Amino acid sequence: MSLDTQKSPQWWKKKDVKQTFILWLILTPIIGYVGSTVQVRSMGEPASETMESVITLMSLFTWVASPVAGLVAAMCVTALISKRHYGDNPPPEAENEIRNSPRATAVWIVISALLCLFALITGLVVLQKDTEAISDAAAMNINVTGQQWVWNYDYPNGARSEVLYLPVNKPVVFHVTSVDVKHSFWVVQMGIKMDANPGYVTETAVTPNKIGVFDIRCAELCGLLHAYMQNKVHVVSQADYDAWVSNRATMEAAA
Amino acid sequence: MTTLTNRPTSAHKKALIERLNIFTALALGVISAFVVWRLALQFLPQDAETSPFFNREDKITLLSMIAWFVGFMTGIGALIAPFRWLTGKDLSHDENMFYAGKDMGVKRYFRYTTDHKVVGIQYLVMTMFIFFIGGTLAMLIRTNLGNPEGGWIHPQAYNSIVGTHGIVMIVATIIMVTGPFGNFIMPIMIGARDMAFPRLNALSFWLIVAAAVPLLWGQFLGGISTGWTAYNPLASQAPLGMDGYIMFICIFAISTMVAGANITTTVIRMRAKGMTWNRTPIFIYGTVASVALALPAFPVFFLSQVMSGMDRALGTGFYDAAHGGSGWLYENLFWIMGHPEVYVILIPAVAALMEMAPVFSRNPLFSFNVAVLGIAGISGLSVLVWAHHMYMAGWAPLLNAPFMLTTELISIPTGMLFLVLVGTLWRGRLWVTVPMASIFALLWNFMIGGITGIYLSDVPADAFLHGSMYVTAHFHYTLMGAGLTGAIASLVYWFPKMTGRMLDKKLSWISFWMVQIGFNIAFMGMFAVGLAGQPRRVEGYAAIFNRGNLITTAGAYLIMAGMLVLLHAVISSWRNGVKAPMNPWQAKTLEWSVANPIPLENFDVLPTVTSDAYGYGKAKS
Repeated sequence: MSLDTQKSPQWWKKKDVKQTFILWLILTPIIGYVGSTVQVRSMGEPASETMESVITLMSLFTWVASPVAGLVAAMCVTALISKRHYGDNPPPEAENEIRNSPRATAVWIVISALLCLFALITGLVVLQKDTEAISDAAAMNINVTGQQWVWNYDYPNGARSEVLYLPVNKPVVFHVTSVDVKHSFWVVQMGIKMDANPGYVTETAVTPNKIGVFDIRCAELCGLLHAYMQNKVHVVSQADYDAWVSNRATMEAAA
Repeated sequence: MTTLTNRPTSAHKKALIERLNIFTALALGVISAFVVWRLALQFLPQDAETSPFFNREDKITLLSMIAWFVGFMTGIGALIAPFRWLTGKDLSHDENMFYAGKDMGVKRYFRYTTDHKVVGIQYLVMTMFIFFIGGTLAMLIRTNLGNPEGGWIHPQAYNSIVGTHGIVMIVATIIMVTGPFGNFIMPIMIGARDMAFPRLNALSFWLIVAAAVPLLWGQFLGGISTGWTAYNPLASQAPLGMDGYIMFICIFAISTMVAGANITTTVIRMRAKGMTWNRTPIFIYGTVASVALALPAFPVFFLSQVMSGMDRALGTGFYDAAHGGSGWLYENLFWIMGHPEVYVILIPAVAALMEMAPVFSRNPLFSFNVAVLGIAGISGLSVLVWAHHMYMAGWAPLLNAPFMLTTELISIPTGMLFLVLVGTLWRGRLWVTVPMASIFALLWNFMIGGITGIYLSDVPADAFLHGSMYVTAHFHYTLMGAGLTGAIASLVYWFPKMTGRMLDKKLSWISFWMVQIGFNIAFMGMFAVGLAGQPRRVEGYAAIFNRGNLITTAGAYLIMAGMLVLLHAVISSWRNGVKAPMNPWQAKTLEWSVANPIPLENFDVLPTVTSDAYGYGKAKS
């Protein structure tokens, strides 16, 4: 991992190289652990498989990036503690003249390319799953309409509500649009988001897997009360959902 | 101009170019705007029943602002030289020397002066002023977010403050390195007497001054309530302040294009004898990459705003789905500018630190070629990644995968920049100064900004993160944590050459630590609330986000205090700091070989370059 590969045949025996290596071994797991744990804790409990995979992806990326961050940190620490100079006049020249190291450069570029490839492939695999969910024929379809500053939900049986109700463990496809300006439909704990564009309908899909009450927020600045354009999604059992939605449709018809 | 030429000539026969300065410019700008405003009010027909609201007001506002712009630029003297050239009487040598600010003292800073050193100082003061405004707005935002209910700022005003903070800071960060240091230092660094087009240089600066007024004006017409992105159709229903934004962007885009053409030409054509591309300092590469990126980006920005203005004032429907347009068109145009633009900000700041790394580690720059390749790679890829801002727009889901590819590829050239910096520090003799500390700060902040960028580039993760405070924290880590850190280090490093005095050491250290610690507190808190689900640009939030927001606000106050210390250090050192020697850092680039104060045309005899500027360190026997 040293950069000084050209001049000494046994570069790995140098003191600063050993020191960097040990620091790297110590720092990498710390960065990986702290980085992923803190982020995963901040994200809270997932309410869908989609969100679970977001959390997995983020901690995976943190762990994959940690050796690089760890190496940069280890080299910085080594450089910083070995030769320092204080004062108003410049220090004497460094004792070496490292202008290049083709081997270190090549290793660096190959490793960063491999990491990049890894991130890309993992991302594509999950993306493919998310995309397939949209064309799931068995899914329930709900139309989501954004308007300044509320959300409206239309259910297959003609019911309409301002607070979303979903049955648990049933795939849902949202058809999102807007009547005025651009909004963004964000079901926070389910890890999905789709912009609501006036004049167009866009799709996103999710399968909620926990019963409970979760947050829906608008994630695109949409004017005066953007901050308050949020409400709840109630994920309930299939029986509760059926009762609610038929009740709602009757109310709608009566009104 | 006619009003001025018709005046009777005074006793000592001052030529027209000697009369014009910022005051005549302001006067002519205000008069023109007022006259056009009255005329438009009088003669523009009333809106038809069918046209949208405010259409006529938009026309009047835009016309008045254009009149301001033309009046101001005429009043400052931007038209004199082209006019003289048209009439076949080009400027004489004396007149050109007058334009360059010869023997003019302080007055030259308030005129259309062409000397690159004057323009550099003008840019420096301008940048600090814009940061002061943007910072004040940031403090208003953070203060309002101190408690969950929002609080004392009306939502409309709050949205406008967020938008204005955004655009003001974007402009400040775009000009913060290439403006002051690209203009003042760069020509000396390549061994030139001035820029290739000195008048364009003055033009680029005064255009920014001209642009600032419509933005300010807009604040009194309802403000910019759309955020700095000004997405349509939200922008078409926004109040008249939006027209101020549109005019501001159009004028600023011209300024950026002019400066880009000028700097690029200067570097290509005017390097000293012997300064081959291999011997050209890395800062020059960074500056050129930055301004050259602006060349394709800003015409698109200009166009997007012209179309936005037409939608508002003339009832066209470029961005209106009901009239055959699309909001997605705006988003595409905006981000075709918007993504290269972040590298316009970042590259010169990182390149400046790469320039300082050898000086303060007394070690050659590690792998110059990799540094150039990294800068070139980032610049090349950055024009191909814009739609990662639109993963969740629903515009073209099939394009998400290719844009994820190009975006993640950027991590490779970015990694090269890290390699160069770390490699230069390795086995160096570190001179503990603010620029040296800034290199470490950059590595820290940019590492965090870069890794969080990988999460955001991943489409499934972005489905959660997009539009949340996490994004806000991420780009502050890159643009402020990396960019501004580099710019402040540049200020400390080149201050002795630009002002002839050393920047106060103690105060700059205090400021450095306050800003860096405050910054990391503030934006770590912001990451946390973003992950917990707080959207961006909200003036109120759920109670669970309270703690994170309080942390961010506390950090922001620490940054503010640190920046005020820096401001104090700059002002006091500029007025009566320790006189700087010619080359206080014992650096090897050409700007340190000229005397303080720098003579008008920099070099009596143009230098010849025989090696690169990184010959530090003793080769091992």
